[in-house]
Amino acid sequence: MRVPLSWLAELVELELTPEELADRLTMLGMEVQAIERRGTDWSDVVVGELLAVEPHPRADRLSLTKVTIGHGAPLQIVCGATNIAAGQRVPVALPGAVLPGGRRIERAEKMGVTSEGMLCSGDELGLTADADGILILDGETQLGRPLAELYGDTVLDVDVKPNRGDALSIVGIAREVAASTGAEVRLPATEVEDDGAPVEGLVAVEVEDPQLCTRFVGRHVGGVTIGPSPDDVQMRLIAAGVRPVSNVVDASNYVMIELGKPIHTFDAAAVGRAAAGRARIVVRTARPGERIETLDHVVRELHPDTLLIADPGGPIGIAGVMGGAASEVSETTTDVIIESAVFDPVSIRRTAFHYGLRSEASLRFEKGQEQRLARLGADRTARLIHEWAGGSVARGRVDTNPDEPAPRTVAFRPARVDRLLGTNLGSETQRDLLRRVGISTEAEARPVTIPVAAGSAPEAVEAPAGDAVVATIPTWRRDIEIEADIAEEVARIHGYEAVPGRLPSTPMPGWRPSPLALREAVREALVGAGVTEAVTYALVSPRLVADFAWSVNPPPATGEGAREGGPITVTNPLSADHAILRHSLVGSLTQVVAGNVRHGRDDVAVFEVGKGYGRVADETVEWWRLGLALTGAFEPAAWNRPARPADVDDAKGLIELVAGVIGAGRPTYMALTDEPILHPGRSALASASDRAGRLALSGVVGELHPRLIEAWDLRVPRLIVAELSVAGLGGGGLPSVEFEAVSRFPAVERDLAVVVDEAVPAADVESAIREAGGENLRSVVLFDLYRGRPLADDERSLAFRLRFEAPDRTLTEVEVEEAIATISGALGHRVGGRIRA
Amino acid sequence: MDLAQLTRDLEALVEETRAALAAAPDTAAVEALEVEVLGKKGRLTIVLRGIGQLPAEERPLVGAVANRVRGAIEGEIGARRTELGAAELESRLRAETTDVTTPGRPIRRGSLHPSIEAMAEIARIFGQFGFVVYESPEIEDDEHNFQMLNIPPDHPARDLWDTLYVDVPGHLLRTHTSPGQIHVMRTVKPPIRALLPGRCFRYEAIDASHGTEFFQVEGLMVDEGTTLGDLRGLLDEFAHAMFGAGKKTRFRPGYYPFTEPSVAFDVECLVCGGPGCPACKRTGWMTILGAGMVHPVVLRHGGLDPERYQGFAFGMGPERISMLRHRIHDLRLFLENDLRFLGQFR
Repeated sequence: MRVPLSWLAELVELELTPEELADRLTMLGMEVQAIERRGTDWSDVVVGELLAVEPHPRADRLSLTKVTIGHGAPLQIVCGATNIAAGQRVPVALPGAVLPGGRRIERAEKMGVTSEGMLCSGDELGLTADADGILILDGETQLGRPLAELYGDTVLDVDVKPNRGDALSIVGIAREVAASTGAEVRLPATEVEDDGAPVEGLVAVEVEDPQLCTRFVGRHVGGVTIGPSPDDVQMRLIAAGVRPVSNVVDASNYVMIELGKPIHTFDAAAVGRAAAGRARIVVRTARPGERIETLDHVVRELHPDTLLIADPGGPIGIAGVMGGAASEVSETTTDVIIESAVFDPVSIRRTAFHYGLRSEASLRFEKGQEQRLARLGADRTARLIHEWAGGSVARGRVDTNPDEPAPRTVAFRPARVDRLLGTNLGSETQRDLLRRVGISTEAEARPVTIPVAAGSAPEAVEAPAGDAVVATIPTWRRDIEIEADIAEEVARIHGYEAVPGRLPSTPMPGWRPSPLALREAVREALVGAGVTEAVTYALVSPRLVADFAWSVNPPPATGEGAREGGPITVTNPLSADHAILRHSLVGSLTQVVAGNVRHGRDDVAVFEVGKGYGRVADETVEWWRLGLALTGAFEPAAWNRPARPADVDDAKGLIELVAGVIGAGRPTYMALTDEPILHPGRSALASASDRAGRLALSGVVGELHPRLIEAWDLRVPRLIVAELSVAGLGGGGLPSVEFEAVSRFPAVERDLAVVVDEAVPAADVESAIREAGGENLRSVVLFDLYRGRPLADDERSLAFRLRFEAPDRTLTEVEVEEAIATISGALGHRVGGRIRA
Repeated sequence: MDLAQLTRDLEALVEETRAALAAAPDTAAVEALEVEVLGKKGRLTIVLRGIGQLPAEERPLVGAVANRVRGAIEGEIGARRTELGAAELESRLRAETTDVTTPGRPIRRGSLHPSIEAMAEIARIFGQFGFVVYESPEIEDDEHNFQMLNIPPDHPARDLWDTLYVDVPGHLLRTHTSPGQIHVMRTVKPPIRALLPGRCFRYEAIDASHGTEFFQVEGLMVDEGTTLGDLRGLLDEFAHAMFGAGKKTRFRPGYYPFTEPSVAFDVECLVCGGPGCPACKRTGWMTILGAGMVHPVVLRHGGLDPERYQGFAFGMGPERISMLRHRIHDLRLFLENDLRFLGQFR
């Protein structure tokens, strides 16, 4: 809501600077988002007087003027406007002046005559809509004064919240100012000289559904002269953000800004007549097949729920949203019908959305209007049209529902208000505060019903005798319905800043583990390992979803959600790039890598802890995953070290790190040869179990398929990815550590080289060793891998370091040799391996 | 062999050894000499074999001389060893000198994402005041996202949340973390002090201060006596913890359908500190969160009796907090994942 202070000052005393006023309004909940000073973009524009207006010697369409600005020699200025005459006072842009839009005025040669500046139109100054004529100022205007001092204005841009439709008006803002300063609000005059013919003989209105149109007040002004509005009116409308059109249309817009009452005016001649010769208006919903050409000259098919203003011939306007082109007030209009109605807010909101026509008018209707305003708006509009466009106002109003409901009362308990606010204001102070916003109060000695909840779940309680005060709410304050609303009003007027802050002293809730604990531990470990955390969009493109869809779906870790269901699509996406909720993280992470590579970063290591989303029947599911993507050097080159490119083993190392953080055992890997998005020879399923044998980590790791790197132009030689379900990622804590006694007896280490066929996975060899090793075998670590002579071509040798240790004694050589013998036997029959001497 | 001859031989050995030590180039030569002279089959031993040929009464005298000579030689060797050892250490240290001004062997550092980290920081601060973390779904239904929060269908306040809808009937992407209030109230009984961090979605074109996806942290405190004054006191503590002790704050009316009274909470402009600048739109203040006393309708939808229970809720954007703290000018950076941006954080 743009509030020109010149306009506001007409309705309420303003003894504050604009900054102070803005601060007061903000502290009342009417947040001033900007203070605009109009006229600061006119420099060197001053008031001048036309001494003479002569024809230009060499151009028929131009005049040659002599202008004084009160001092110095008269200026010679060439002017193209025709509305000027000697003796008028006009805005003069002196050489060097700058006008709105940065237009610079200089001394210039115009058809052989030097022009020492320019006379300005209202449009050139951004003051009025008149671009043809020079702005003629009042004859008393002081010569030489900078125009900005006289016609500049300050406009407050107030963010009026949706519950305060009443404040979408100068009157409403004036009431807030009054509440703050104690000044009186001077309401605009609504008395009309309605000495024309009785309106009943000119206009008839019928409302078919009084739920959708609770009141329609009509007035008629005959014999008007359409023309521009007075300059000062145009200036106000422009400052308030409304483009002036003509005196009649401006009157309706003026009333909307001033009173907050949207008004529509019809050319009475274009409204169809009933038998009696009266213009006949019907408010009804649309009929099948009906259409209308609206003011914006678009022909619209009407939806059956649309509320219409119609005449016997059909629709003449979409109620509360936009008028029809055929009945628009135009230059030839002589008689005007004023519509000042109250419509159902929901109906207007739906209609405005349906046609994509949300306007200043529909915004106000949506928020609800008081019945009384229909009458005031009609009267005020008739008065202004009469004043600006002449004619005669028909006597009386047509009014479909003259009933103006009495103000609502809301009972409240001052003690409860204090208890909610944490204040100690007491009944009297609260009542004083409420009085300042026009809420009168009366102490109620008898028991009374207190409304504590309204809307979708209304609720009330009985207050014992003597506890309550009954407040009478001004009709325009539709937002005050329950006790808590009274509490806010009390706090607002008292000042939120005056509410004493303190730290809570109420009982604490019990301890609860944080669902972020495990996630944080995993994130911090990865960051410590040199991997950067990314956060990507959950909404991605259909192509990304399709191209990076996993075909394998390993079981989720214990307690974690499975990846399941079909994709969820946004029905009103902003762009195709953000149209589907992702199923996996891997696609998004490849894009992070690609983006950074394009910025010249060759080495990228990122992870994301994020969700996947799916739909199972009509239920939605969400699951947490850890995603990894590595490219370029995992150990970047330095002066003292060559670069080491990232490979799948780096990703596995990170997976093992995570397993350690969550208290799981060493992950095991199984070759994955048929996952289309991964390199068939370089990908694996990874899994790890916790001490209790539950699946604690489960997922896929591997090199991205070269086909995808090419298809997505990722510009990297290789890209390593992983996506894992991790127990606790969705909200679990870290498992507690179970201490295992450290043996005081020495451990025995043995290195064992096992020769196996190339096709035998290392993981199988390792598990054969572990299973045959007995209880004293504490660890098995692969430390070398060898191919070549003297081994056969299809053989390789895997060297493991075995560590034996007993908690209660020093192991004997014999015991260890026995264990090694058992292992050798097992290797022979389980994996066809032999021990290399 | 007589005593005099033996004594002369010993003296000669001392002199010879002394000369050899002086000529020894390094500690290894000293070691060799030590073996040659003092070893089991060394020259001193050989000389002393002559004792057996001496008369018995002279033998003790020779013994004394021999001990003196052994002591002298040991002393000479030890001194020479120390001398050469020091020189050798010195030359080794000199030889091992490196240019210590070169950079170290780099260890790659990752960094935590500033949105997530801001949420964690918010949780740590409120954790001190007994707030515990909960999470709720990102895909919600209209009831939880709007209706139970006192925002009926076709309510004009819906303009505050431009919504993305999905193809699952009745569902949408949550526009705020506030539906979590309902979930928490239906899960646990008061006293409640809850924080709900998470991702939210809006139908909003992406620009420097708006995004289709962003995070929010919701706070909820409900019991039998929590007041607007408690909200103010707690938010002041939060602002001081997050932005610095002594930062001025401002507590003013706001509007949300699910709170009554509603609050907007500002902190003094972190750029200009109050006089007004472009960053604070010349107001001297920056809004950091919205809040208010939980609306009775919302308490009721949460299964609580609004006559008995009361409390507050607040909601803030971690990105906004992060932007203010680090003076980041563009919200888009948070989802672009440019390592030049991410790498600036811990």
